[in-house]
Amino acid sequence: MPPKRFTWYNGIGLTLALIFALFPVLWMISTSFKPSNEWVRQPPVWVSGDATVENYLTVLWPSALLEKRGGLTQYTEGGEQKVAEQTGVGGAVGDILNKSAWQAIWGSVILSVFGTALSIIVGLMAAISIARYRFGGNTTPFFILSGRMFPPIAIAIPFVVMFSDVGATDTYWGLILAYGAVTVPFSTWMLKSFIDDLPKEIEEAAMMDGMSRWGAHLRITLPLIKGGVIATTLFIFILNWSEFLFALILAYTKVSTIPVQLSKYFSATEGLLIGVQAALATVSIVPLVIVGFFIQKHLVRGLTLGAIKR
Amino acid sequence: MSENLLEIRSVSKSYGKTVAVDGLDLALRPGSLLVLLGPAGAGKTTTLRLVAGLEAPSQGSIWLEGHDVTRWQPNQRDLAMIFDNLALYPNRTGYENIAFPMRLAGLPRAEIDQKVKAISSVLRIDHILGRLPATFSGGERQRVALGRAMVREPRMFLLDEPLSSLDFMLRIELRTELKRLQKEVGKTFLYATPDYTEALALGDMVCVILNGKARQLAPAQTLYDTPADRDVARFVGNPPINLVRGELGRAEGRAIVRLGALNVPISAQAESRLPSGVTQVEVGIRPENVVVQKQAASGAILGRVSDVEPLGMHTALGVDLQGASLTATIAGEREFEENQPVSVSIVAEKLMFFDLITGRRIGG
Repeated sequence: MPPKRFTWYNGIGLTLALIFALFPVLWMISTSFKPSNEWVRQPPVWVSGDATVENYLTVLWPSALLEKRGGLTQYTEGGEQKVAEQTGVGGAVGDILNKSAWQAIWGSVILSVFGTALSIIVGLMAAISIARYRFGGNTTPFFILSGRMFPPIAIAIPFVVMFSDVGATDTYWGLILAYGAVTVPFSTWMLKSFIDDLPKEIEEAAMMDGMSRWGAHLRITLPLIKGGVIATTLFIFILNWSEFLFALILAYTKVSTIPVQLSKYFSATEGLLIGVQAALATVSIVPLVIVGFFIQKHLVRGLTLGAIKR
Repeated sequence: MSENLLEIRSVSKSYGKTVAVDGLDLALRPGSLLVLLGPAGAGKTTTLRLVAGLEAPSQGSIWLEGHDVTRWQPNQRDLAMIFDNLALYPNRTGYENIAFPMRLAGLPRAEIDQKVKAISSVLRIDHILGRLPATFSGGERQRVALGRAMVREPRMFLLDEPLSSLDFMLRIELRTELKRLQKEVGKTFLYATPDYTEALALGDMVCVILNGKARQLAPAQTLYDTPADRDVARFVGNPPINLVRGELGRAEGRAIVRLGALNVPISAQAESRLPSGVTQVEVGIRPENVVVQKQAASGAILGRVSDVEPLGMHTALGVDLQGASLTATIAGEREFEENQPVSVSIVAEKLMFFDLITGRRIGG
């Protein structure tokens, strides 16, 4: 069958789908540049005529903002409300606005990178033993997934108890373990599907040719499912990057993440600091977009073409 | 020290409740070619995988050159296997596929290159060495898989239906080539196939495997002429053997077997070998031993042609004999038509008798 031509109605469909998917992102970016009086307004402000980078400064470089204003004064409609001069006199809001989000960004990077690595390593070994050795029969793969069948909070609470017993709360290693544990079901199942697609005879041929089992898995199978591993890694990374619940209840002060930080931009007088939230959220998608752009050519299947006769 | 290269000693393999191989005993001398013949699911592939070490037997042991290798890993056994789906490395070129086992063995680059070149010219695949398997034709894939196996000079070769999905001409060509290679290099082959003609063409010895059991180990022609039991008889030969219920008796002082309305005399020799007291038997008649004639002949009975199937060199006829139906093969061109009345007789010396219950052949 010859490839179908791209027609105008395909174009319309695609455009509608793109608008639907991207509008929230565009709105977020637009909001991140709005001054506070434009955050919530009827009719809505589509693109601010009075664009500002203050939201970004609040997130990334609060001291610059402080200097610019001659003291931290923020987000009040009528005049100046001194929130903080030097230390967090103004309470919780002052604290959060005094401090940049870098700790949270750094926390997200560490937890996502190492949590994802842990999840992929454990998931890959589990996937190989299930797909190739039928480890645990028919039920184990199902029970691995069962951890995701409860509302996450149901698992999070036992985590709190266990973590405080072993002193893992508010530590990077504790949260990395937690992130790995809750994403392993997904990485196992995704990687298993890629391994299942690969005829096991290719590995066995390598063993006959003189390779050990481990060698065959790592040096034959792994390169052939590279695209699948990359796709799974990206997926798990996104899950970890956007994880909120565990970071909220297992970390307090030493460890923080972007989603937790987002939830803290709240002022007693003004409610949600929407513009600041939008600025941090926009910052947080940048690395994912860059990484996604560079690896998209690897996100293909069909590497096994020609290995076997059909 | 045993003089057999391979010994399979009462090996069984079951997966849960399914028994794939059931108490198999086999021995192979160095330099021989043994064909495992059996239908899909008979246990041929499992047998090869057990020998290869890709599966561990549930019971029994496997011996190579006098060593018990039952617990050895595949890479310790020094065997080469050609899988039924060939299993080339899709991300490596033809050259790299063939060179791979030697690279693992750590041979010097120059030696690898020389060996790949040598084997490629034998297999006539020089022109595809630089390409990826996706671009190969079926025959080229086959040859690369062969090359990858042969370049290593392993203890023995395990071939799992390697020619099964090739087209007919190529299959015959590669079959001949395989046999020639086997004789030339003097290596031991264990070759699994579901195709009787392939077994006949290739094998010194053929082992028929049915339901995980070795039913008969014999030269191919012997399988055809004197099968050990009903199932082997049915599996070997095309068109398949006629199996008819018969009753042993006597008529006019001679031993006969009654096949419906047809009385077929039995030679005194055959009769003497039949156990006494047996009256009900299953009679096997090869299609070429059913004689179909246009004119009535003595000892023949009347029937009607129900089906005519030209097979080139000969023609398969379905014949209705008052209820019973037989298949006959006749030489030459088509001289019968459907619904034509004919007379049918049977070559008595070639009858086979099988026990009704056990299915084993009786009467020698």
